[in-house]
Amino acid sequence: MKKVISLCFILALGILLLAVVASMPRMGDPQSPTNTHIIDRYLERAEEETGAENVITGVILNYRGYDTEGEVTVIFTGLAAVLAILGREKRGRVHAYPDRSPVRSSLVVRSAVRFLFPFILLFSLYTVLHGDISPGGGFQGGAVLAAGAFVLAAALGLWSAGRPVPPWLRYALEGAAPIAFFTVGVIGILGGAEFLTYMLPRVAAGLQPSLRTWMTLFIELGIGTGGAMIFLSILMALSREEGEPL
Amino acid sequence: MGAYRHFPILIIAVPLVTAVLMPALSYRARRACMPVAAAALASSTVLTLLLYRVVKPAADGYLSYHLGGWEPPWGIEIRVDFTGLFMLTIVCCVSLAALVYSRRYVEHELEEGKLFAYYSLFLLLSASMLGFTATGDIFNMFVFMEILALSSYALVAVTGRRDAVRAAFKYLLMGAPSSIMVLFAIALLYSVTGSLNMADLKGIVAQGAYSRVLFASLVFFVMGFGVKAALFPLHGWLPDAHSIAPSPISAMLSGLVVEVAAFAILRVFFSVFGAGASAVSGTAEALGVIAAAGVLYGGVMAVMQKDFKMMVAYSTISHIGYIILGISIMNEQAVTGALYHLLDHGLAKGCFFLCAGAVIYRRGYRRIDQLKGAARQMPWTCAAFSLAAMSVIGIPPTAGFISKWYLIWGSVAGGRYLYAAVYLTGSILAAVYCLRLIYYMFFVAPPEGSWEGEGKDAPPSMLIPIWVLSLGTLVMGVFSFVIINRLQEAVGWLL
Amino acid sequence: MTRLAENFHYVGAVLLFCIGLYSVIMRPNIIKKLIGLNIMETSVFFFLVSLGWKEGGIAPIYGGGAEPSRMVNPIPQALILTGIVVAVSTTAVALALVILLYRQYGTLDVDRLMREEELEAVPPGREGEG
Repeated sequence: MKKVISLCFILALGILLLAVVASMPRMGDPQSPTNTHIIDRYLERAEEETGAENVITGVILNYRGYDTEGEVTVIFTGLAAVLAILGREKRGRVHAYPDRSPVRSSLVVRSAVRFLFPFILLFSLYTVLHGDISPGGGFQGGAVLAAGAFVLAAALGLWSAGRPVPPWLRYALEGAAPIAFFTVGVIGILGGAEFLTYMLPRVAAGLQPSLRTWMTLFIELGIGTGGAMIFLSILMALSREEGEPL
Repeated sequence: MGAYRHFPILIIAVPLVTAVLMPALSYRARRACMPVAAAALASSTVLTLLLYRVVKPAADGYLSYHLGGWEPPWGIEIRVDFTGLFMLTIVCCVSLAALVYSRRYVEHELEEGKLFAYYSLFLLLSASMLGFTATGDIFNMFVFMEILALSSYALVAVTGRRDAVRAAFKYLLMGAPSSIMVLFAIALLYSVTGSLNMADLKGIVAQGAYSRVLFASLVFFVMGFGVKAALFPLHGWLPDAHSIAPSPISAMLSGLVVEVAAFAILRVFFSVFGAGASAVSGTAEALGVIAAAGVLYGGVMAVMQKDFKMMVAYSTISHIGYIILGISIMNEQAVTGALYHLLDHGLAKGCFFLCAGAVIYRRGYRRIDQLKGAARQMPWTCAAFSLAAMSVIGIPPTAGFISKWYLIWGSVAGGRYLYAAVYLTGSILAAVYCLRLIYYMFFVAPPEGSWEGEGKDAPPSMLIPIWVLSLGTLVMGVFSFVIINRLQEAVGWLL
Repeated sequence: MTRLAENFHYVGAVLLFCIGLYSVIMRPNIIKKLIGLNIMETSVFFFLVSLGWKEGGIAPIYGGGAEPSRMVNPIPQALILTGIVVAVSTTAVALALVILLYRQYGTLDVDRLMREEELEAVPPGREGEG
């Protein structure tokens, strides 16, 4: 009975939503509210105001940087939540591979992964640093790095994935992103403007663009490393064996 | 304004960054976690109270802060108006009380390895509610709501017990789709307005174009926030989650999280869509009926419960109904009453759960009939409970009386006599389940061996927060005139 | 009606949303519910990104003489970046809970979990909890 009601509800919702879609502005219409209201300024002046050639990076880190700070806090909350639920891993008490098999992968896989991993690392660094001028950015690069670590984990075992980064460094870097944002934000306040402002009145006019670039890079790197470390920690925590003390 | 203008962001950012530093802190100095967390929340409380000198209940009395120096709608705006400041105060006070209470409770309940995660999540919970209330950008509100949601799912499950994990998962299973509905609502709203800033949106919505899309957006907002606020019939997750969570978390959840979600509905109605929008008036009617049903349902179910915390959880469903019913009536008195009820419900319900936790901490008793004669050994706890119960029922001179007075006055002024009757019935039901418990605690002899002999009341670190909250309901009732007129003025501008 | 055909991206998003919602509500297996949740989230991201389309649009990146007036809307893309991170975090927390649920109950079926719940209804005088 409950199933029938739920099904009717979903159907009704679907039909109503289709009616709503029919009364929305046409997709791609250059005169629609989304394409005319505020984006003109973003598209025309992003480079001079934010120093980023990639307008989206300018929007994420500069115009709407506070949202990005919220986002990195969400992922950190995810990590804290997973740790609160499952607890941190302990060396030697973790299933060897994420799929829990004690069997090593074949030679082909292991060699290929070992060969590829440095390139993945390089690519992630490239993505992070190039976020200003091409598609990419802090979070994208961090995700690539984490994906590389996952591949290592799947092929070579979790502990080889964790070995390049010693645990204490991983724990320290988990919070890198929100701390980077907070630091830049406070610099903004101390520099005479609002939180998370990049062009600071109290700094000499010639130095302002450089300072802005440095701060943007700092945040990008923070997001990249923080994100990657958080994903790695989540992977480790999810693989933790049950029943052992914390 | 000088330094004041930076206060809002500091109120949010300091607990946030402290939460992030918790894991690192726990490495070196585990014992320092709670004091550091308390210091962060205390600083936010102080800054919030200081803001009362600057934020006024006038049309331009709000504090607007342009993050990154970009003016809205191109940048994100932090906007603290008087009603927002009121909500910030509630969040700060109840959070601080629950945090101080937590220390004893959590060390008793949780393994030591999880403590840093608890405090970290607790601070994130508080910071997210502060950020949620203070923002003037609707997507920003969504982001903070997600921090709120994730931390609350985890905090319900933090003890790791079977029923806690199940309750947390049920919460997640209803809460995550509701978050997506809010995102969808934002998307719909964006598609026809092109803006994410609340003040800007209000202007565009007032022009009345694309009414069907706007209506759908509002419905999705109400559904999404309604789940988080445990609005009947979307309340299914609440009884388990609130009764099984650790008591300080239950206090935070019932006293703050559901309230902030109800406050979100208020924000969406009045600050984003505007009370005059056609979408709003249509939805408000339906919302009123649903909320009234919730008041009665919650009250009746609370009377029928045998477990102390379950009773309090159902009482929360009833009181959220009060608040949303007041919002849906949409006149000055009713909305003022709803806002003031946010205050007294936060204090009283927080106190209720902290008292329940104190009893469980000392004796492990959860059932109502096990509380017979409890006052012999835990008189201070029971007395605080009784005082808070006066507020829940609505007996003068507590704050609960003031809020219900305004709510009923608003219903009558709006011609909604039925709703006034619903409020009164709710109070009668509250009287039944509260007075029954007080009677058991003070006036009934305890069964063999349960409350006899040696036994102590709750420890001071738990009793002080309990009494702060409980006395708060009395103080805010007697001294309500200090704030209620300003609140009413602020609501007038909101509408 | 023609508007529906013009907005076919949105129609697709609505369909995905309903499919995801169906999965969350009607499937008894928890993992399938989580997959449904992810489908719902993806549908909203799809909806948002399609909102940003402008006819004849190019990517909003300068360099090589790209004209600002032809660029697509950067805001939805920024929004969904945040949205994707949120979805990932929610999935991570959900999976952590599922791991614990599986360890403690041995089942991933919601109907069986609900039956366990009824069997477990608060027994008298359970000590030291909550």
